[in-house]
Amino acid sequence: MAAQSVPVKLENVSKTFRDPKTKAEVHAVQNANFEIQPGELVTLLGPSGCGKTTTLRMIGGFELPTQGKIFIGGNDVTYLPPNGRETATVFQSYGLFPHMSVEENVAYGLKIRKLPKEEIEARVKKTLELVGLLDLAKRSPGRLSGGQQQRVALARSLVVEPQVLLLDEPLSNLDALLREQMRIEIRRIQKSLGITAIYVTHDRIEAMSLSDRVIVMKDGIIRQIGTPNDIYEKPNSVFVAGFVGKVAFFPVSLDAFNPEGSFRCTLAGRRLNAGSKADDIAIGGTAVLMARPESLSLLPPGEGYADGTVSARVYLGSSVEVYVKTQYGEILVQVDDPAGKKIAGEGEAVSIDFDERLVRILPESKEEKQS
Amino acid sequence: MFTKKKIIAFCCACLVFLAVDIWMFSTVKNSFAKTIAGVAVTLAKTIASSAPGADESVPAWLDHLNTAYPGYSFFYCKGLPGEEGFREMGGDSSLAAYWAQHQSDEVFVKGVESASYLEVYTAPETMKIGAITGSLLFVPIPAETQDSAAGFLLMAADSSASRSFFSLVNALAIIAFVLFALAFGIATFSRDPVTGYVVLALFAIMLTFVAYPLFEAVRLTFITNGRFTFDTWKTILGNNQYLLALWGSIKLGLCTATLSTIIGFVFAFAVSRTSMKGKKFISALATMPVISPPFSLTLSIILLFGNNGLITKQILGITKSNIYGLGGLTLVQTVSMFPIAFMTLQGVLEAIDSTLEDASLDLNASRWQTFRSVTLPLALPGVMSAWLLVFTSSLADFANPLLLAGSYRVLSVEAYIEVTGMNRLNNGSALSLLLLVPTLTAFFVQRYLTNKKSYVVVTGKPSMRLSNLASKGMQRFLSVFIGIVIAFIILLYGTIFAGCFVKNWGIDYTFTLANIPEALTRGKDAMLSTLTLAGIATPIAGILAMVAAVLIVRKKFPGKRLLEALIMTPYAIPGTLMGISYILAFNKPPILLVGTGAILVINYVIRELPVGVEGGVAALRQIDPSIEEAAADLGADQPTIFKGIILPLIRPAFISSMSYTFVRSMTAVSAIIFLISARWYHITIQIYNFSENIRFGLASVLSTALIIIVLLVFGLMRLLVRQSEHLEKTVSIR
Ligand SMILES: Nc1ncnc2c1ncn2[C@@H]1O[C@H](COP(=O)(O)OP(=O)(O)OP(=O)(O)O)[C@@H](O)[C@H]1O
Ligand SMILES: [Mg+2]
Repeated sequence: MAAQSVPVKLENVSKTFRDPKTKAEVHAVQNANFEIQPGELVTLLGPSGCGKTTTLRMIGGFELPTQGKIFIGGNDVTYLPPNGRETATVFQSYGLFPHMSVEENVAYGLKIRKLPKEEIEARVKKTLELVGLLDLAKRSPGRLSGGQQQRVALARSLVVEPQVLLLDEPLSNLDALLREQMRIEIRRIQKSLGITAIYVTHDRIEAMSLSDRVIVMKDGIIRQIGTPNDIYEKPNSVFVAGFVGKVAFFPVSLDAFNPEGSFRCTLAGRRLNAGSKADDIAIGGTAVLMARPESLSLLPPGEGYADGTVSARVYLGSSVEVYVKTQYGEILVQVDDPAGKKIAGEGEAVSIDFDERLVRILPESKEEKQS
Repeated sequence: MFTKKKIIAFCCACLVFLAVDIWMFSTVKNSFAKTIAGVAVTLAKTIASSAPGADESVPAWLDHLNTAYPGYSFFYCKGLPGEEGFREMGGDSSLAAYWAQHQSDEVFVKGVESASYLEVYTAPETMKIGAITGSLLFVPIPAETQDSAAGFLLMAADSSASRSFFSLVNALAIIAFVLFALAFGIATFSRDPVTGYVVLALFAIMLTFVAYPLFEAVRLTFITNGRFTFDTWKTILGNNQYLLALWGSIKLGLCTATLSTIIGFVFAFAVSRTSMKGKKFISALATMPVISPPFSLTLSIILLFGNNGLITKQILGITKSNIYGLGGLTLVQTVSMFPIAFMTLQGVLEAIDSTLEDASLDLNASRWQTFRSVTLPLALPGVMSAWLLVFTSSLADFANPLLLAGSYRVLSVEAYIEVTGMNRLNNGSALSLLLLVPTLTAFFVQRYLTNKKSYVVVTGKPSMRLSNLASKGMQRFLSVFIGIVIAFIILLYGTIFAGCFVKNWGIDYTFTLANIPEALTRGKDAMLSTLTLAGIATPIAGILAMVAAVLIVRKKFPGKRLLEALIMTPYAIPGTLMGISYILAFNKPPILLVGTGAILVINYVIRELPVGVEGGVAALRQIDPSIEEAAADLGADQPTIFKGIILPLIRPAFISSMSYTFVRSMTAVSAIIFLISARWYHITIQIYNFSENIRFGLASVLSTALIIIVLLVFGLMRLLVRQSEHLEKTVSIR
């Protein structure tokens, strides 16, 4: 039942809401530009209220962009209503039809398309099998668990063989275990059908583990687009670095630009070289150095970049998390393979060190200091 | 967006509208032109009859005409041209010159000939004579014998006033067309044309059937003989009789509202704050008066307490009892309207969080202290709004005072008498507009009360357990009080039922079954037409209400607030005003509906729409919008979504809106009494006629029949709604 895969493209898309009472304007999405390849699964990631749902709803046709154009499979669909587009949405609240059985819910889209009865039956059965709900076909959706409802919603969208599948936080109502299962399930189904999919979430782990590429948004603006790997290891801003994973920041002054693309800089009187992706960094100024917990290590006091005392130690089995209070705030150091290592205990004085090759230079930011 | 099909559809619609537009405005112009011509002819006849016989007084007469009738010019000839004794007597010089130049023209010959047969002739073309551009009339001056013409008067009438009126009408027609084309264009070429069309259609309906009639009613009170004056309002406000009626209405409203609120509060308190038994029965019986047909309670009050009343005359032996007037009206209105207060207050009391009262009791306050210092203050805004609701209903009430007012005057009946008895439509509409003033005031005060952030502690869902705030003695007192009220209500309904089987109430109480066949044969036509029209109105109102609710809750479009206000307006308008405004608006072109069944159906639909829309809005707000979005996403268009998703989901609201419309249409009086015709009669009016003619037996039979129908419909509705109850539960599941 694989439909042919199509690309999705947004060109300078903006959406401004006007509050009917206060007349205040909310810039939900500003100047969004991106292209999604056929068969790709892309996540929209960002904090609550950053415009993820609005972006998705514009692609689905539920909101008209204030500006810009949307293309699906090369066709301009900006003004097409939802029923005129080959998209299918899995809503955050599922939007199941409560007056129909599971089967009827799934068959709805096919009935609207006026397919012959036998074909409808066959396709509904096949799709219910795919999501593992065949034995619940006659139930009313009100009497299903959250995970089952979610799968009905997915089946209802998949059965019409959409060109683009849109998912708005489909797993947010589920418990942690089910969430993990469904994540894998969705990924499997999406890949096997080769559907282009856009997935909205505010959960970075979900985004990382699921997608081919991640689009990070904040305040209606796209901050970075890249593979999970890119986003995690080579973020372009303090915000993205902080949003996609735990991170420590150190202020540095920039001395020179190395021809191979890294910076020479100074931290706490020590010189080092660090890579960067950002382009708006001026030599001679100050910047921020980011380091992930797993790239940090502990040394005796005075030997690393920053001295401090251990404030807490959390044993996680495969690793140990050590929280160190320093002049740059509390920094998390992750020590892998703790077995056989001597790890500093609470109250001990330590120094934090890192491998130059694993840290990156980011531009300073005013608004994002607190995050 | 701009597809060929859409452009063609758009052009066709524009052409159709253009045709309708031209037709409508030309009928307006024609009827205006006819009136103007009629006025000129009447004037001409008056002038002709004042013509002096003696030659010497002619110049003075002509002078008098010139000064008395500006905008006209005259030229007088005695005898007929070509005959012996023809003389030009003089007059306006340019008219004389025109006459000299054109007297052998075909039109002039014809005009003079008509005059010789004593007929006024108006030249078909507009002429320009001197300073006057307008029509030329040939007015015969009759001889003393009255059987032939002694001469004729040429009269030129200036028509610049009507010409400017015509250009105004033309401008309006063009504006109407442009507005239509614009709105329709937006609707057609927008993303969601179906919604666009529906919005346009609703706007058209509401403007035609709400705004236009009201405008006509207001206009009439300021226009007398085609002129703007305050005469009507001066008459109304300067006349003791009318002011008395206004005061009478207010006095009655005050009495009824206060009494009803007290009784309603006692009932609500007993149901929500005591452990009294039979609460279900009390609630059920107390709602009876709300749905029972008009006249029925009044009828039974008359049967019991009237001049020949069972209780007053037969039991107590009072011969000169007088139930007619303020006392009787207060009694019957209180019985019929206290349930409104009861239901409102029950909601209010159940919404108050009982833990507050428990806390007070916990602090060793007595039950009475708790009631006084916690419950009552918290319920006060609710009490106020219950009072206002009853007050407005009492003012708008028409049926009860019609039968029971006697010499006591109230506005609604006064307006009815002005219109049907005196044929003074302007006074009638002024009086009914007067009725709107206290009603609107109360309406806005209530809006203010409900909008104001009051300190009512509403927990959202009624508390499961409510405190018991009545002591043993108090509870006994409440039981007795409620028992008396309930017994009285049962007595009233029992009387109607008994009335069916009594030969001649008040005089001859022998048992008979004869009333039933007679009432049914005589009331058959009225009953059939009432059922037919209510049956037609019901689905229309139901669907329209649900469609409007969807627009209000789910769609964004310009003018939404205005449309909402227009839809809700009939809720605040007394039926009397509605009826009068409808006869004013729809007894003339371009929309001639008076006398048809359509005007009744439209009136039912428009009047009951607000309640249906409110129900639909409340139901829709409970439903996750992503359900509809999912359907659209799967390819369903707007009509399919409405039919297949929305309507089934808000079925309870849909059904109750329909049954409400049906019952209210079956029991309507105040508006439709102006609108019924011999062909389309109404059963309640038939009941009224029987009562007026002292055929109480027949009135009782029809009332009972109507009560049974209404109860059946409500029972059916209950059944249908219960079937979809499982639905309501699952709708909110996310
Ligand atoms: N219909 C609307 N009218 C007015 N403002 C809106 C509307 N829909 C969204 N917004 C505003 O636009 C901004 C973006 O909303 P959006 O729903 O896209 O956020 P989100 O990223 O999906 O957040 P969440 O993770 O909480 O779902 C918010 O500030 C929101 O308040
Ligand atoms: Mg969202």
